[in-house]
This record gives sequence, structure tokens and C-alpha cells, in this order.
Amino acid sequence: MQQFVNLTLGGVIIGAVYAAFALALVLIWRSTRIVNFAQGAMAALTTFIALSLIEGGQSYWVGLAVALVAGLVIGAVVERVVIRPVEGGPELNAVIVTLGLFIAIQALISVLFGVNQRAFVAPFSTIGFRAGDFTLALSPNTLFTLGAVLLVMVGLIALFRFTRVGLAMRASAFGQEVARLLGVRVGRMLTLGWALAAVVGSLAGMLIAAEVTFVAPTFMDSLIVFGFVAAVLGGLDSPIGAVVGGLLLGLALSYVRGYIDDTLVGLAALVILVVVLLVRPGGLFSTTQTRRA
Amino acid sequence: MAAATVATTLAACGGGDSGGGGGGGDSAENEASDIGITEDSIKLGAHYPLTGVAAPGYSEIPTGVQAYFDFVNANGGVNGRQIEFVYRDDAYNPTNTSQVVNQLVLEDEVFAIMSGLGTPTHNAVTDFLNSEGVPDLFVSSGSRLWDDPEEKPYTFGWQPDYEIEGKIIGQYVAENFPDAKVGLFLQGDDFGEDGSAGARQFLEDQIVAEETYVPGNTDVRPQISALQAAGADFILGFNVPSYTALSQLTALQLGYDPQWFYSNVGSDPVLVGSLLARFSEGAISDASLLDGVLTTEYIPGVDNPDNEWTQLWQRVWEESGQEGELSNYRAYGMSQAYTMVQALQSAGQNPTRDDLVAAVEQAGSEWQGPGFAPFRYSEDKHAGYSGMLVSRLLGEGSEELTPVLVTDNGDAEITEAENEPASPPESGIPDEEPIN
Repeated sequence: MQQFVNLTLGGVIIGAVYAAFALALVLIWRSTRIVNFAQGAMAALTTFIALSLIEGGQSYWVGLAVALVAGLVIGAVVERVVIRPVEGGPELNAVIVTLGLFIAIQALISVLFGVNQRAFVAPFSTIGFRAGDFTLALSPNTLFTLGAVLLVMVGLIALFRFTRVGLAMRASAFGQEVARLLGVRVGRMLTLGWALAAVVGSLAGMLIAAEVTFVAPTFMDSLIVFGFVAAVLGGLDSPIGAVVGGLLLGLALSYVRGYIDDTLVGLAALVILVVVLLVRPGGLFSTTQTRRA
Repeated sequence: MAAATVATTLAACGGGDSGGGGGGGDSAENEASDIGITEDSIKLGAHYPLTGVAAPGYSEIPTGVQAYFDFVNANGGVNGRQIEFVYRDDAYNPTNTSQVVNQLVLEDEVFAIMSGLGTPTHNAVTDFLNSEGVPDLFVSSGSRLWDDPEEKPYTFGWQPDYEIEGKIIGQYVAENFPDAKVGLFLQGDDFGEDGSAGARQFLEDQIVAEETYVPGNTDVRPQISALQAAGADFILGFNVPSYTALSQLTALQLGYDPQWFYSNVGSDPVLVGSLLARFSEGAISDASLLDGVLTTEYIPGVDNPDNEWTQLWQRVWEESGQEGELSNYRAYGMSQAYTMVQALQSAGQNPTRDDLVAAVEQAGSEWQGPGFAPFRYSEDKHAGYSGMLVSRLLGEGSEELTPVLVTDNGDAEITEAENEPASPPESGIPDEEPIN
């Protein structure tokens, strides 16, 4: 029983981490119709910036604030300088550029911060709460992670559904020409979309770093795959979908690890992805299956 | 490349006196007897993860090897030849390993490969090296794959393999913790499988759970929860150092406090301690997390500062003037380099590649060196050290719990080692007789 409870709690936590990452992917997809493979490397970069501040004696919260601001700047710069020239061309070009960016940023992190693993201390205690005789895999820090992910999800839903900026961003993503005719400053919206996504990515990086405990320049690599699967499960277009997808994936993989075998985790993620796409090709939360950019 | 240039310059100064070499053949002259060997130099190659996930710790090994070769070169080299040591980064990726070993053999034209690090990585190149007839000595991995004289006549292991380590640990636990409910925490490859196979020879009835992890999956909560749920009160880990740190922290988070036993690979107290240091600053616990953890040792390291070999390594390291401090990884590299010099001396004044292999097979089991137990080398056996001892970690040091125990693969008995521990020679450089 304790094992089931702890596998479930562990699955929810790691699922929230996948969800945090998936949210950033969804944000870029909604605002620019690009899957950003450099997301993980960008988040790793801001996490390392924060980590050096924290190791230098600053508090976690200063590090977090700097990471978010750095994410905002990096996201905007990347969109303006690297992505803008290939925007409007074939979709594949932009995707390939993000792959190249992924490798370049990861190399940059190694150059700036070294290749060694470093400890990342969580902002709150990671000692599990006790329930009667046993310790739950639920700690103050995991509550913080869950809360932050839910807050971002609600914020994104609110942004896209209730604000003019959110509407303009969606319009820019779906039809640049039409949006432009209607007076939307499409260029600015695309930059804003990347900048916001990078902020969410930076937050995800900080939350993930605290959960994985040790970070190296490549620490986001395995999460890119799972975050992507989570986002696709949810339909790639829906913040709620990303979170639900992340949680489902986290739970499923946690049970696979605890009850079957750790070596099957990659396979299990793939099976889940294929099954969901066979049953609902648009993902679990797709609204209109034919809607395309 | 810089290293090679330095070595050549030194050769010009030191070519005259052949003081450091083995005896025999004083009258004969040095010849370029095979690829990678000239009158005054000998070129050796290696591959290590210098970047990437496996780099922490392991990337220090070549600096130790280099430091010892510098020391030997400064004292005249081997048979008057300066050793050039060329090593390349494979980032612990077997595809890269194939590429860099190709470069080492075909472009750099090394005489032999030594100390190639990692099971999946090195396994990608043994076929190539054996088909090319390149000696592939002292692989830095405890896999049993290197002991296959029929199929891989040029490949030799060095450290005790994971199976005999598992056996020695298994017997120790069965004798000293007969009531323990043992849980296994294993890396999901040869390392975990061989260790588990060895331990199960003695612990089959005591093992209540076996959990594996895949390197790269950093969430070990499910595995540790499963071990806890199975009621294991003694965890035996065949894992790498970062997973020692992860399993310790995860167990702490889950309120789980079994006795831990980490095999040699995962227990480096300095590396694990540096990973855990920030967590013991008050955020989690004030206690040194690894105190009281059991492990095994087969060569002296920095946790035995009074050992004569450690003192020699300390001297060599300081003389090399490289950055950083002597670590167990550097001591490991120096110990391998010491064995390599023994092999080169035994191979004679003008060796061919086949002479080097014959030297290890014929003389290797007699070499005295830093290792606690003798090597198992022979024409039918290419496995390295035959044993180790069990110890307990205390701070950054350790205390020995058993004498040196030696054994062999399969159901060979475990016995106490008969050899006395060897002292390093005065000069710090071995002096082996050539085999021919």
C-alpha cells in the first residue's frame, strides 16, 4: 500500500515536472506554430545562471527572478535574431534551426559553466511528510512544484482566453496575413510569444532542477522527450491538455518503474503516445481536429 | 598535441641515458620495432569521457596516467624511450569511441591502446582492435567482456571484474549480516547483472527485492520505494557515484534508513561527498551522509594517506604540476600507468605488438604493484586483479574490515590472499625483467 501511494505521489510530482516543460512547448506552438527543440537547452542555460548566483550566496528567490528575466531576454533575442529569418518559410526550416540552436546552447553552457554535475538544492525541504508509520513521497518542495505548475497553467489559459494580447498572439500564429490586415503587430506578437515561452521554460528548468537534484548541461535532455510526449498527449494546443498529459505520463511511467522495470520507461512512453494518437489523432484535448496553421 | 611536442623535446635531452629501463640487452640498440615505436619514443592511446554525464571523476583518470608517464619520462623513460600518451574524448558515447579509436590507431598510429574507459564504449572497439592486432590493455571497466583470449587475444582487463566483486561482497554479507533482508539496487547493464550474479551465489535466500535503473533517468523514487516496500533493511548497490548520491537523498526523503553497501565504482567518498556537500549545509541533514557505508577496495587511494603507494602518487602528482589535487581517479590512472610500464619493460628492448601481449600473459601474474591482490593474467585468462577487501567509509577515509580476499569467476572458492602487500620501489619506477 505504501508503495502504491508513494508511486502515485511520485508519479504526480514527476508528471507536474513534465507538464511544466510541456506548457512551454504549448505556448510556443500556440503563438508561433513551431515546436521548439531548443527549449530544454534554453531552460538549462537560465537554470545554470541561477545556480551560479545561488552558489555565490544569493537566495533561491533571487536566482529564480534572474532566471525568469534571463529567459525573457533570451527568448526574445532568439526569436528576433535566429528564428525570424526562417519564419514564414517551410515549417521544417524553423524546426531544424531550433535543433541547431539546441546543440549550440548546450555547448555554450559547457563553455560557460563546465561539464560537471552540480548539486541543486531545492528551496523547501524535500523530506517527505509523515502519515502514521510511513513517510509519504510528498514534501513541502513538491507542493511548491505542483502549485507553481498549476499557477502557470491557469495564467496561460487566462492569457489566451481573456486578454486582447492573447487573442492577438493566437491570431498571429494562425494567420499572419489576416492578423496583419486586422491591425495586429504580428512581429511583436511572435517575439512576445517566444519570450513568454522562454520564461515558462526557465521556471520549468528551475522546478525540474530541484526535483532531479543534480544538474549538468545535458540535464534537460531526457525531459525534452517526455515533455514533448506530454504536450502531444494533450493536443499540443491546450495548456490544460499539457498538464493532464504530463500527469498521466508521470503516473504511468512511475508505475512502470516501480512495478515492472526501469528499462521499459522509454518504450512505455512511446506505446502511450502511439495508442493515444491512434485513438485521438489530435491528442486528448484537441478541440477541432482539422484546424491547422 | 602539445603533450606530444613536449615529450619529443624531452626525448632529445634524455635519449642518452637509459637508466629507467629494465635490464637485459644493454649492448643492443633501440630500433623502430613496430608501429608507434621509434628509437626514442613509444606512443600509447586511450579514450575517456572528458565531457558529458560520465565526465565527473572519470575525466581525471587520464591526468593521473599522464602524471605518472611524465614522471617516468623525466627519469629516462622505458628502455630509453619516452612515452607519448595521446587520449581523446568519446563523451561516453560508443559511436564516438569507434571514431576516436580509429583516429588513434590509423592517424596517430599508436603502439597500443590502454585504459579505454567504459563497458558500452570500449565494447564498440574491441573487434576493431583485435582484427588490427593492436594490444588493448587494461580496460577501465570491470565487465567480464575483456577476458576472452580465444576471440579477443589482444584485449586485457585490469580491475577486479564485477562478478568476483559480487561474490566477495555476497560472502561478506552472508557471514556478517545473516539476518539482513537484502535489496539490490543495480545499474541496468552488465555492471549490475554481473554484480548481482556474483552476490546471488551467497545471498540468494536473503535477497527480497531487486531494482534496476537506467543511467540518465534521474528519478529513483520508484525504485527506492519498491525496496522500502519489500522490507529490505540492507541495500547492496552496483551503481555509479551520482546514483549513490541520488539514492542517499531519495532514501532520506522517504524516511528510509537501511544499511548501505556500494560496490567500489559507486563509493568514491570525495566525489559523492562533493555532490552531497551542498545538501548537508543544513538544508537536509548535518550528518555526513556516507558515514558507515560499506564498500570494497583493491588499490590504495587518497583515503589511505599513510599508504606508501598513495605517498608515491602524491609525490608524482605534485611533480607533474597539473591543476587540482590527487584524487582516487588520478590514483587509479597512475596505478594503471604503473602496470603499463611493467608491461613495456617485460616486453623487452625492441618489442613488437605481439611481444607486449605475450609479456602480459607470461609475466603479468608475477608483477608486484599497488594492487592488493595479484593479477590473473595467463594465456587462458585475460582478467585483471583477483581480489579486494571490504571496508567501511568514515568521513573521507575508510577502515578495513576484512583481509584481502581473492577468488575467480564461476564457483571458484574465496580465500585470503597469500601475497604480502608490495612496497613501491625506491625510484618509484618498476624494474621488470624482459621475458625474452
